[in-house]
Amino acid sequence: MSGDLATLDLCTLAGRIRDRAISAEEVTSAAIARAEALQPTLNAFIRLEAETALEQARTVDERLAKGEDVGPLAGVPLAHKDMFYREGLPTSCGSKIRANFVADRTATALARLAQAGAIDLGGLNMSEFAVGPIGNNVHYGDCHNPWNPDHAPGGSSSGSGASVAARIVYGALGSDTGGSIRIPSAMSGVVGFKPTQNRVSRYGLMPLSFSFDTSGPLTRTVRDTARILDTIAGHDPKDPTSSRRPGPGCEAACDRPPARLRLGVPTSYFYDDLDPAVGAALEAAQKIFEGAGVPLRPVPVPSHDEINLIWAAALAAEAATIHRKWLRERPCDYGPMVRRRIEFGLYQPATRYLEALSLREKFLREYCATTFADCDVLLTPTMPVTAPRLDEVDVSDGKGMTDLVLKVSRNTRPISYLGLPALSVPCGFNEAGLPIALQLIGRPFSESQLCRLGHAYQQATDWHTRVPAVVVG
Amino acid sequence: MSDITGDFVAKMARIWHRFALPADDATPLAGMLAPMDDAGERVSESMRFDREPSGFDRALEELAPPADER
Repeated sequence: MSGDLATLDLCTLAGRIRDRAISAEEVTSAAIARAEALQPTLNAFIRLEAETALEQARTVDERLAKGEDVGPLAGVPLAHKDMFYREGLPTSCGSKIRANFVADRTATALARLAQAGAIDLGGLNMSEFAVGPIGNNVHYGDCHNPWNPDHAPGGSSSGSGASVAARIVYGALGSDTGGSIRIPSAMSGVVGFKPTQNRVSRYGLMPLSFSFDTSGPLTRTVRDTARILDTIAGHDPKDPTSSRRPGPGCEAACDRPPARLRLGVPTSYFYDDLDPAVGAALEAAQKIFEGAGVPLRPVPVPSHDEINLIWAAALAAEAATIHRKWLRERPCDYGPMVRRRIEFGLYQPATRYLEALSLREKFLREYCATTFADCDVLLTPTMPVTAPRLDEVDVSDGKGMTDLVLKVSRNTRPISYLGLPALSVPCGFNEAGLPIALQLIGRPFSESQLCRLGHAYQQATDWHTRVPAVVVG
Repeated sequence: MSDITGDFVAKMARIWHRFALPADDATPLAGMLAPMDDAGERVSESMRFDREPSGFDRALEELAPPADER
């Protein structure tokens, strides 16, 4: 029975709990058992809150028995990157420095999930301080890829991708500052959504870069992601930067036909230097969209080289501002790669930093006027490569590591600078059985359009239904 | 081309941030900073007198497509 439960998607499971075909307690117990069984193999959790989760599940069951409205996520086990604060509970941020930090508030995104009835299993592994797209962690041990534990799961939301792919939980929140939702989604073979900047409240989320941080869901299906995003999006008085727009309406959009949306295929940059298997998978994906009646057209994209560099400069300046005291007083408590990537922000002139932020408007307007002139959504690979082996990762941050980081995040970083929404969807496997993903990029606040296309793609393919051997073996 | 060197970075660390940066760290940091400095110099050509960071938030709202009606 546990195996059957594990392979249900979030929306199906929520329906069965609501109908009282299964209890929230039964589902949560099974998820906890899976988390404990796979922890030695995947190391997906930093902290498993089993008793608290079971209490939440029993409360849902009691409310259902009374006929109360329990919310669209009632009884569904989730877990979240260990950088979303829960009042009174530790939040490590994947770091030694914050190992004993106890939050004094609860993240708005978590509060909204709880309000919708979701169960919270605890804090998931992540790259230290959300820095690094590989998913390794020198303090809590590396998280492993469910499709092959010798390979990286992708980061920085490593545990989020791995725990969803391994069918431990039905969804997870991650954060994305340059690809940290989309990259683990791609490497671990699940759906991941980086919303438009300001779409989701950042209140109670560990900051890395207040200009580029976003949070969003990782799930097995686009519809599951849509339900979570609809739940957490929307203005939050506790985060004055959050948009006052109405909710994105993503789940409803899944049921609308995609055919009237125009899909643009970039003629440069995003498709450069792809692994052959990635190129073949994207070519096949284009045919799937055409088969669904979605018109495809080539579109120009500007050079992203300068965008990528000024994004990195601004991000590092903000991160270094947050970390300056610890960089001075506790430098040895950082992993070497993470310390260096934050530290170089100390040496940026303030004028460079402010120019990078001030020019965001110009680059965004130009992008929308040119690249989106003849299309609604861009179709790209999420990554040009598949997950690297963990033993190839150089934690001392040599040149090889820098090259690897730049390569895996090549197609995600510029979109973070532009603040655009981007949805990563599994679209195949290479010959070694490692996942490949496509990325749908939209105009600001076009999340519902991305869900229409992503859901239509999943209706025509079965990549999202495949299960890693670690789950059934 | 940028003239950012390890010595320059180590000096900034000492003067601006009050800590000593080992040479092993200063040189790679200089290597990371130099291309960003060059890129910053190039894009600064397009700065305008009245640009400011908040223009980005306004642009996000203005550039959103109409409600999903296609």
